[in-house]
Amino acid sequence: MYIVIVGGSGLGKLLARKLKEDKHQVCIIDKSKGVCEKIAEELKNIFIICGDASYPNILKEAKLEKADVLVSITPSDEDNIIICNLAKEIFKIKRTVAKVNDPRHLPLYRYMGVDVPVDSTSIIAHIVEEEASFFDVMNLLSIKKGRLSIVRVDIPPTSSIVNKKVREIKLPQDAVLVSILRGTRIIVPKGNTLILADDEVIAATLIDKEKELIQALVGKL
Amino acid sequence: MKYIIVAGCGKTGKALAEELCQENNVVVIDRSSQALEELPQDFNGKKIVGDVLDIETLEKAGIKEADVVVLVTGNDNLNLVVGKFIKRKYSKLKKVILQVYELNKKKALSEEGLIIINRTYLLVEVFKKCIS
Repeated sequence: MYIVIVGGSGLGKLLARKLKEDKHQVCIIDKSKGVCEKIAEELKNIFIICGDASYPNILKEAKLEKADVLVSITPSDEDNIIICNLAKEIFKIKRTVAKVNDPRHLPLYRYMGVDVPVDSTSIIAHIVEEEASFFDVMNLLSIKKGRLSIVRVDIPPTSSIVNKKVREIKLPQDAVLVSILRGTRIIVPKGNTLILADDEVIAATLIDKEKELIQALVGKL
Repeated sequence: MKYIIVAGCGKTGKALAEELCQENNVVVIDRSSQALEELPQDFNGKKIVGDVLDIETLEKAGIKEADVVVLVTGNDNLNLVVGKFIKRKYSKLKKVILQVYELNKKKALSEEGLIIINRTYLLVEVFKKCIS
């Protein structure tokens, strides 16, 4: 694939290196001459353009019309959105990925048609929140850009659902128990399956119902 | 009497707000409270400190009821993004007017319903008139 990356410091450079390792063709655009020179020193066989990617002629220089993906990871949200817009509207790029610098700007990214806005702040906050909680919950998998998640929850002996049947547990609307791990056994939960202390429960839930689900399984947060 | 939101309280925003507030309902938004404090004493509109890329700020300024939005933040990309966004989302808006310094961007990013003001373009027109 041919991938154009806008923004070459830190993340951009790392991404370019990884993509090169996977044999993709990469072009990096950055406003700063210093950043461009540093990339040129460190990475081989990369197309580097020093310029402001919110100008169509710079994107043209990068042969953006031939690109499969555009990634915009500048520190400015307005720049990222405009660049993705230009890529879509003028260069007909199908997939645009951008870094959201301020989570409050995420709705604008969505509204302006950026295909994959990556809100790193919220992702990190979510991980920290999980790691900092007292009970053991592990996010196993995120599907559909994180809207659906599969989680593993350890059931503490203090939980109100211990010794209750699955049908007696009040789960949130958009969550379902997938399986119960008990020692070496894997149990597919039915209505009359009993939950025991120290069971590990695997559940699927829409992301906004995750807290509610954990509350239902573990008790108070 | 129109409901007008002015985003950006620099030289242009300030002068515009001062002029417009005599006969209209004006709200000025700027990131910096200091810039807003520099509005003249007799400015009788509303001042909001906030970030125009944040929908909450726009709605606090009453964008759902506004007739006109003027974007003069001094940042071309910011003016363009916000302009395009509000034009699509808030259908009650009658006019979205924005300043863009770079003529190339005006050409590349123009779209129906956005009024884009470019200083160079205006000056050229004025000079042409003066000459003829």
